[in-house]
Amino acid sequence: MSVTEQGLLERDKDTMTLNMGPQHPSTHGVFRVILEMDGEVVETAEPEIGYLHTGIEKTSENKRYVHVIPMTDRLDYLNPPGNNLAFCLATEKLLGVEIPERAQALRVIMCELARIASHLVWLGTHALDIGAMTVFLYCWREREMVLDLNEEISGVRMMTSYIRIGGVAKDATRPWLDGIRDFIDYFPAKVDEYESLLTKNPIWMDRTQGIGVFSREEAINWSLSGPALRASGVNWDIRKSRPYSGYEKYGFEVPVYQGGDIYDRYRVRVEEMRQSREIINQAIQKLPTGDYKTPDNKVSLPPRETLHTSMEALIHHFKLVSEGVSVPKGETYVPIEGPRGEVGFYIVSDGTNVPYRVKLRAPSFMAIPGMCQMMTGCYIADVVGIIGSIDIVMGEVDR
Amino acid sequence: MTGEEIIATVKAGLPDTIQDTALPQGDAVIFVAPDCLQKVAAFLKDDPSLKFDYLSDVSGVDYLIEEREPRFEAVYLLYSIDHSHSIRIRVGIEEENPSVPTVSELWKGALYPEQELFDMFGIHIEGHPRMERLIMPKDWVGHPLRKDYPLTTEPVAFSYNRDFKSELVKSKPPTR
Amino acid sequence: MGLIEDAAERVGDEINNLKLNVQDSIEAMDHEYAGSLYDTILTTKLGKVVGWAQKNALWPATFGLACCAIEMMAMANSRWDAARFGAEVFRASPRQADLMIVSGRVSQKMAPILKQIYDQMPEPKWVMSMGACASCGGVFNNYSIVQGVDRVVPVDVYVPGCPPGPEALLYGLIKLQEKIMAEAGTDKAKKRVA
Repeated sequence: MSVTEQGLLERDKDTMTLNMGPQHPSTHGVFRVILEMDGEVVETAEPEIGYLHTGIEKTSENKRYVHVIPMTDRLDYLNPPGNNLAFCLATEKLLGVEIPERAQALRVIMCELARIASHLVWLGTHALDIGAMTVFLYCWREREMVLDLNEEISGVRMMTSYIRIGGVAKDATRPWLDGIRDFIDYFPAKVDEYESLLTKNPIWMDRTQGIGVFSREEAINWSLSGPALRASGVNWDIRKSRPYSGYEKYGFEVPVYQGGDIYDRYRVRVEEMRQSREIINQAIQKLPTGDYKTPDNKVSLPPRETLHTSMEALIHHFKLVSEGVSVPKGETYVPIEGPRGEVGFYIVSDGTNVPYRVKLRAPSFMAIPGMCQMMTGCYIADVVGIIGSIDIVMGEVDR
Repeated sequence: MTGEEIIATVKAGLPDTIQDTALPQGDAVIFVAPDCLQKVAAFLKDDPSLKFDYLSDVSGVDYLIEEREPRFEAVYLLYSIDHSHSIRIRVGIEEENPSVPTVSELWKGALYPEQELFDMFGIHIEGHPRMERLIMPKDWVGHPLRKDYPLTTEPVAFSYNRDFKSELVKSKPPTR
Repeated sequence: MGLIEDAAERVGDEINNLKLNVQDSIEAMDHEYAGSLYDTILTTKLGKVVGWAQKNALWPATFGLACCAIEMMAMANSRWDAARFGAEVFRASPRQADLMIVSGRVSQKMAPILKQIYDQMPEPKWVMSMGACASCGGVFNNYSIVQGVDRVVPVDVYVPGCPPGPEALLYGLIKLQEKIMAEAGTDKAKKRVA
């Protein structure tokens, strides 16, 4: 039997195979899904990933702890401070270092700014996928403001590497703080503006309500996390359930909706932007004074001016720059709440200055099987909506 | 529940199956052999006072350089959403024919990380519905995250030496 | 009515009359010379004109790979506004695009697909390698990343940075336009369509 004949026989079933991706504008990167279609209805969705596999975990095993931080930026490239923070918290847990309160507050501000920026990208592209072009342009307008703030404090627009082991890279500057104050005054009206375009829009509601529904049990069982889990009625936020970096000091609400569909995921994220703004506001209001990194000179560099007067500082400086931090033997896992859900680093240390094993718990990676489960039985047009509502970032899926 | 209480409950519920326990930085860690993993996992999920209903992640570690027996280890991170506590299960896996039973019947979220375990470490997952490569291309040889797999086979393409021309630069396809 | 007001009114009338006269004469001139530019003849190579048209209407393919893709999207947006250079029309299909911006790291698994997309683009076509990873592998000198996209497709412009800002990408775009204009009408441009 020739190959064609065999192919025709296999075609005997009534379904059609449709390939989507890896180069597709609505898959948010290089995600590929093979859809088995019965007319317009998806019968099965088979995901295919790995087109952006960067080998970051393997590379991290060959670099010092300090050098891993810029790598973590490039994992989930919409949430660089969150990845930095998760890695630094895990390392600090093994080291047993106390972080000064000012550094913790600065970390929180950076992470919440990144959450706003990430949700803006999500909202813009998600709305664009479903057909609302204007929201895309509006969201990027505000995102540029956050990127300018990033540039002011760290010198880079996206890959800040601002959070370091033992604290942050440098102290807050006055223009940065003023910029944040301007931004948080300006931002709430803009969230209302996005909502006025979408929330009550009948087209948007038709395209999102009751589509891609996951119940509470399904969402937990398929290991969804973050906004997708909270839209299914699970009140689970790492910032509340196991606080880190002083999140317990800020008053904020975790939005939880019961519908479990695309619309509720949208509402959770929009509300999260408001809450993030609230957290930044509180952090700015009561920004503690003091050190921006730990005074323990075995972990963070001593102040530049002491190098000229103190022999000990010079030795610490030399040791840290030439060798890096040596982390005690052990293994640990620290989760944080990123924009897409639980970001966590599982680190195994063998007592040297190079990590033995670095494993990222990536929320997008864990959500992909569940996302394809949602696609079964829905229409082809809703597939892009479901992908957008989970907000996958291929950088952290493939790592 | 704190780490000590979780370990005490697990030990009381499964007296002979837990190999060892640890409390690094207050996290509850239990060591389990591969053949009783499913039993332990089912107990952890069903016991009402533990109720670990959320699987956070499955990671693999290759302890080749540490020269530890057994060579591989699979680490399962579990949460209980209702009780807000967590546990880590560490499963040591032999070097010869490494294999571990699947837990994807209990937690569907384990499907992908288990497949990744096969792809990156070559650990066979018994009972997994799709035992093929996940991230690397289907025809890839080797398991990249094993410690005996080289990071790169390609030398760096530039040099400070002006008359040094690496093979790489010579072999580059001509652009037009 | 006082004398001063009277005088001011007269002068105002005079000025208005003058304005109207000038306007009339300008309109008459406009009428006379209207379209005269279109009657003139410009001698140049057709290749030059085609190159000039091509450089001002580069249509990139939406080929987002990694982090750089986010900055590429920023370039198309209102603040950086790639429309000023005629390069804002991102096409989802490679068949409608003539510029491929390789924005991000290219893995061994992605390289054949990248090559296929490049082959699907109609001639003439250009490639911009955006960022350190696409240009040389960046910090990821490991088993999974292609050490420079120029191993797979010919690259016209390399944009450095990790990731390059939108302004850097726009500068790369201007450089590409200069290259297209410099090549226009020469054998190199002929080879591209051959």
